[in-house]
Amino acid sequence: MDAVVQATDLHKDFGPIHAVDGLSLSVRGGEIYGLLGPNGSGKTTLIRLLIGLLKPTSGSVSLLSQAMPDKAILAKVGYMTQASALYEELTVRENVAFFAAMCGEASQARVDEAIALVDLQDRAGSLVRTLSGGMKQRASLACALVHQPRLLLLDEPTVGIDPQLRATFWAYFRRLADDGVTLIVSSHVMDEAERCDRLGFMRQGRMLAEGSAAELRAQAATATLEEAFLQFAEGSETGGR
Amino acid sequence: MNARRIVALARRVMRQVLRDRRIVALLVVVPMLVLTLGAILFRSEPAPIPLGIVNEDAGLTTPLTGKLVIGQLIVDELGSGDTFELIDVDAGETDGALRDGTVQAVLVLPESFSAEFQKNRQAILDLRLEGSNPSRSMMITARVTEAAMKAVAGLAAAEMGLPGAASAGGEVKLPVTVEATYLYAGPEFDTMDFIAPVYIAFLALFFVFLLACVAFLRERSQGTMERLLATPATRLEVVLGYMLGLGLFALMQVAIILFFTVWVLKIHYLGSLALLFLIVALLAIVGVSMGILASVFARTEFQVIQFIPLLIIPQALLSGLFWPVEEMPGYLQPLAYIMPLTYANRALRDVMLKGWGLAEIWPNLLILSGFAVLFIALGALLTRREVA
Repeated sequence: MDAVVQATDLHKDFGPIHAVDGLSLSVRGGEIYGLLGPNGSGKTTLIRLLIGLLKPTSGSVSLLSQAMPDKAILAKVGYMTQASALYEELTVRENVAFFAAMCGEASQARVDEAIALVDLQDRAGSLVRTLSGGMKQRASLACALVHQPRLLLLDEPTVGIDPQLRATFWAYFRRLADDGVTLIVSSHVMDEAERCDRLGFMRQGRMLAEGSAAELRAQAATATLEEAFLQFAEGSETGGR
Repeated sequence: MNARRIVALARRVMRQVLRDRRIVALLVVVPMLVLTLGAILFRSEPAPIPLGIVNEDAGLTTPLTGKLVIGQLIVDELGSGDTFELIDVDAGETDGALRDGTVQAVLVLPESFSAEFQKNRQAILDLRLEGSNPSRSMMITARVTEAAMKAVAGLAAAEMGLPGAASAGGEVKLPVTVEATYLYAGPEFDTMDFIAPVYIAFLALFFVFLLACVAFLRERSQGTMERLLATPATRLEVVLGYMLGLGLFALMQVAIILFFTVWVLKIHYLGSLALLFLIVALLAIVGVSMGILASVFARTEFQVIQFIPLLIIPQALLSGLFWPVEEMPGYLQPLAYIMPLTYANRALRDVMLKGWGLAEIWPNLLILSGFAVLFIALGALLTRREVA
């Protein structure tokens, strides 16, 4: 089976800064791929490169076997950022229906289904302005998956939400993956990484190591992922000099 | 380009605007209020100007009319209209009365006024003005001169033995009368009728510009623009969706403003109302596209406010709202010609005051459309810069 996400030797420079520096990535269908790394390691830049919001300095991206940038394929891709990015003056349903329309999804039933998936059916008619932060984040997720995307790119979707909601989110993600949706989830929280099928450790725009949580721990011979990350980071530093 | 996406975008924009009652009030109520204020100010009879009089004229005696006090004739003439409220002032207190504001000007007629007039065949009026408002000073000078001429003209007629002598209490006739005919408009047109076309245009442009600028800025600052661009929607579609959604509001606003000016304020106008609507609607579309383009250069709503002195006030000053563009200094005129409001003003005045039709004003409409297309294209192009 073809890789759902394929990035080859990606570079993105912002002036003198190499935000993404020669990174390749291959994600298979139906897996949850975790992008892990500290703030400023290039996770957000990488995701924006993948979806075509940024133009790479060099290198290539293809999503769902389609070379990017390609506007049409985005109808099959969902995208969610750390900020909830919703229209505050509109209701939850109006927001979800609007983003559905942008992706060519006109079915009212699909809109209700997406709202039900994130357990917001009771607040579907409420203005987003009146929702709590956690509810906004859920509404935002509903907007990202209303058009039944085959690929979801989620940039730190669980930042700033409480542990209970975080667990709920991961339950949603797993359910989607079981339905064959491919997910790329970025995070700087190591305990979330355990829930991913495969992980990529990112640092300074490069991929330090890739593999399942167990593989990475074994490779670094450490007890926790956090220690494994530090081990790899150190290795790249001494190797680089 | 996908028409359904554009319509969905437009519907969303309209829904957002309608949810915000204050914006609706800003678009509908405020222009009506401002127009009403303008009509009241430009149309109301001005209050009489307090004019101080120092009349010490001793008069003279002529064989034909007997005792004649020319100073008194002038004072009577000044007091006969609504322009002035006459206040007697002591000769030594003229400056004091001007300074404390009891009078705006003082006319001093010395003891020898009539005698000097007889000797020189010329009246020299000693008029002392408060002077801080130049246009008012000019107006007072003109009115006093006019009254003096009238008074003296009657006198000349009496001396020449013509009918209508001043002392006979009959009608005083000026030796010269003007019979004016108008190529355009007519005597029933007042200042408000002249101001109204550009007033309408300015209001339509200003509020729609602000609305578009803030709405499009919010799209970026709340992160929904990024989200939109991660869907199949293109930048051009987003901009066109805004044009359509806000454009419909602009049309509604234009219709209300026109209705209000024509039927409630009873502004005189020639030409076709449909053509007026077309011009203002086109200007409003320019306003939306200008707002979208300007929002690219703003990061906060406060920065949008900074566009008002930068983009809006120069247009108000230079587009012919106060001074005809042709009468401005040559080096300022090119500035006026890069402003959309100039062309809208010209077209509106041509239609409302001269009764011109589409055949005469189409170049202005063409230029306005050009501005809209240019701004839309630049807006769609530059949105990229912000997202990347």
